[in-house]
Amino acid sequence: MKLTRRDFIKSNAVAAAASVAGVTLPVSSTVAADADDGIRWDKAACRYCGTGCSVLMGVKDGKVVASQGDPDAPVNKGLNCIKGYFLPKILYGEDRLTKPLLRKTNGKYDKNGKFEAVSWEEAFQTMAEKWIAARKAKGPKGVGMFGSGQWTVWEGYAAQKLLKAGFRSNSLEPNARHCMASAVGAFMRAFGIDEPMGCYDDLEHADVFVLWGANMAEMHPILWSRLTDTRLTKPGCEVHVLSTFEHRCYELADNGMIFEPQTDLAILNYIANYIIQNKAYNKEFIDKHVNFTKTPTDIGYGLRATDPREKAAKNRNKGKLSKISFEEYAKSVEPYTLEYTSKLSKVPKDQLLKLAKAYADPNKKVASYWTMGFNQHTRGVWVNGLCYNVHLLMGKIAEPGNSPFSLTGQPSACGTAREVGTFTHRLPADLVTKKDAHCKFAEKTWKLPAGTIPRANGKTDGADQTDISGKPMGKTLIHAVAMHRALNDGKMNTFWVMCNNNMQAAANMNDESYPGWRNPDNFITVSDPYPTVSAQAADLILPTAMWIEKEGAYGNAERRTQFWRQQVAAPGEAKSDVWQVMEFAKYVKVKDVWPEDLIAKMPEYADKTLFDVLYANGQVDKFPVEQVTDSRGNKYENDESKDFGFYVQKGLFEEYRLFNSAEGIPKKGHEMADFDAYHKVRGLRWPVIDGKETLWRFREGYDPHVAKGEGVKFYGKPDGRANIITAPYEPAAEPPDKEYDLWLCTGRVLEHWHSGSMTRRVPELYRAVPDAVVYMHPKDAKKRRLRNGANAKLTTRRGEIVCKVDTKGRNKCPEGLVFVPWFDAGRLVNKLTLDQTDPLSKETDYKKCGVKITRA
Amino acid sequence: MNICSLIVYTKPDHGPQVTKRLEQYQGVEVHGGMIEDKLIVTVEDEGESMSPVSDTMNELRNVDGVVSTTLIYHYGGEESMEEMNREIN
Repeated sequence: MKLTRRDFIKSNAVAAAASVAGVTLPVSSTVAADADDGIRWDKAACRYCGTGCSVLMGVKDGKVVASQGDPDAPVNKGLNCIKGYFLPKILYGEDRLTKPLLRKTNGKYDKNGKFEAVSWEEAFQTMAEKWIAARKAKGPKGVGMFGSGQWTVWEGYAAQKLLKAGFRSNSLEPNARHCMASAVGAFMRAFGIDEPMGCYDDLEHADVFVLWGANMAEMHPILWSRLTDTRLTKPGCEVHVLSTFEHRCYELADNGMIFEPQTDLAILNYIANYIIQNKAYNKEFIDKHVNFTKTPTDIGYGLRATDPREKAAKNRNKGKLSKISFEEYAKSVEPYTLEYTSKLSKVPKDQLLKLAKAYADPNKKVASYWTMGFNQHTRGVWVNGLCYNVHLLMGKIAEPGNSPFSLTGQPSACGTAREVGTFTHRLPADLVTKKDAHCKFAEKTWKLPAGTIPRANGKTDGADQTDISGKPMGKTLIHAVAMHRALNDGKMNTFWVMCNNNMQAAANMNDESYPGWRNPDNFITVSDPYPTVSAQAADLILPTAMWIEKEGAYGNAERRTQFWRQQVAAPGEAKSDVWQVMEFAKYVKVKDVWPEDLIAKMPEYADKTLFDVLYANGQVDKFPVEQVTDSRGNKYENDESKDFGFYVQKGLFEEYRLFNSAEGIPKKGHEMADFDAYHKVRGLRWPVIDGKETLWRFREGYDPHVAKGEGVKFYGKPDGRANIITAPYEPAAEPPDKEYDLWLCTGRVLEHWHSGSMTRRVPELYRAVPDAVVYMHPKDAKKRRLRNGANAKLTTRRGEIVCKVDTKGRNKCPEGLVFVPWFDAGRLVNKLTLDQTDPLSKETDYKKCGVKITRA
Repeated sequence: MNICSLIVYTKPDHGPQVTKRLEQYQGVEVHGGMIEDKLIVTVEDEGESMSPVSDTMNELRNVDGVVSTTLIYHYGGEESMEEMNREIN
């Protein structure tokens, strides 16, 4: 038989699909599958969402030419979503940045100058000057870095060291603050340890699925296809969907509910009340494994302190828990009757009852899923907690199928932002800068003098830490939203944004983000592969080697850590984030940023660079450069190792493991396998003990940290008990009024990921959904004399944008609410949103503010 | 040049009818799976930088009898047609 190259590729494509579908084809269709087509295939974790699919990348002549869902991956089992299929194209957008660009006039840096290509040396020299000056003049909050849940594990780790130990500044935040902080807050409060106890296997084990503010069909399509399979094949399986508007998940819903924004708090309390009133709770479980507590109420909305809503709050930003009895807890949820909750939420009574019964049925295994609906919420920590309350009351937790599960939006929000702890208040493996002992452990691990890392309160052993200025360090924490405010107020003067698009992503662009970045006192650096909205608003742009142009690791929502090898070279002079962080450290000396009394503890460090003390410390540079080779003998480059002269990724990862896997660590439960092990597998779910991953935590028989006979142990808490935390319904910060008479909710669509900086450069995806539209109810449109497809002007107290009306599309809004996706750089919806946050988690609420819509 | 394979899930026993409907689209071929209600389909085009393949795939989703479609494999090399049609054995 004659075979052309085209036939050959086609037969590979057919064979791949047939094997995933379990369909047997006639022999002739698959004849070529074993021949060599000159394509080198290797695994990689997908660049987009938190699902963590594995994709096979086909490289030929140094270029990615093909991709397929990885049939050996437990997460996606050979499937992939539409974004995944056009993945290789994100590398090859026409406007990739290939040289550092600095704003200049007459050959010198000028904030108002035009971007000119400069060398890396000039870029870093200029930057270092600005950073050292800002650090000296404005204290630990004078400099700041805004990283990412898309950073690889070691990129986050390297940045963590640079900021907290090198610059002695806790001004390090990830964009995960905007997406996962509420989830983290609730995990820590309820369980004392971050991340879900269950895993994706629950998608096959559960009898009932409940979606709370998660549009899985569009945002997590692969998980949705697993859920769909279970729904269609398991007798009695039911799907409940809750949201503030109707989306694609409702097509599968047995009980689809639309609720008034913010009333999810009431609905969860109603379910708890129903369980208690009907004595359906698992008494043995709560007696053994649960404490009952309450949290302060009326806590404000995370706005500036001068805002009247903040002045009116009785317990602004407070979250300290106090113990209560079961009876007191029962009383606290008693007001949430079916009658009251239905009226408040606008969900019909029979539907609420059906939902409550599903949770209360001891014979049904329930998995709850949520994403930004819960997290981007001014009561995000509360509402996450209220869902745990329901699961804990029933004992439906930490076993196959019974699973409250917080989904993530970014590929390594868990693996990097949360586990490495690139938040202002965190250190690796759930350690915190608030605890002197945790900081001391980190300093010892990093071979640095005690007192290097700024404590949250600026004190170590009860005494003030000295700053480079000679003054006491003072309070050192600053969260993401506060960073933009500090830039605006001139309190922070240098800001490095890496691997995200915060000018587009942060709320209230007109009043805070833009004036902050363009403040003449400030020097803003943005590292990105593309000229995003953020890059264009910066003073220095650094070109980034992205994703498979470097060796990387991501951690997904089910605690799975996945590695990939460098598949191709980056274009031009683009360099990876880890390279940029480490190389920049060479331009700053210890004595530039550390005070004398600290240097006196290790005088040999004074003239060294931050690179020397942080990365050439005998640990990170311990492993020599090696030829990266897979099990089939294919060879791969590693550009960072070549440049620095040691195996960068391995050194950083192995030092990081000293926080989660070494003897005598402060917090157990995050154990990981060694570096080389991850290159051989499709990821492992931590804790990994003796090479074995953990599927369900806290449960005997599944989790090695739970001893024989203990049954269930929430070992993140000293007494091994989880907290049920009661919290009431409280209204939103800016509900619609007479003038701004609609709710505005923002979010994503399937075809685009986040701010669209990658997906909008894929022609197919761009064409499928070119522009953001405003989804609204036909009646709301008609009232405003708007037709489907007409241009509408959206106005809030902060700004306005124009976009087309969609009354017939995939999202169907109820009357009174509109939805606008945020991927579109041409229609920046964050000119409209309010910079309100959960006062506890400091995560922005992008889902609720008042908007007015008129004809444009 | 783009070659994609996908699984097209059909309503029970609709495999043969759906196959006929799908094969009316340019560049679409059905390779099997009729009994399983899971059609193994390829979509290909001659390949400009902007691929018509994705439009075709979107359209397939709306064909009568189709429940859903899932992509499995995508090849997007930039070879010429001559190169593609070269015999390799």
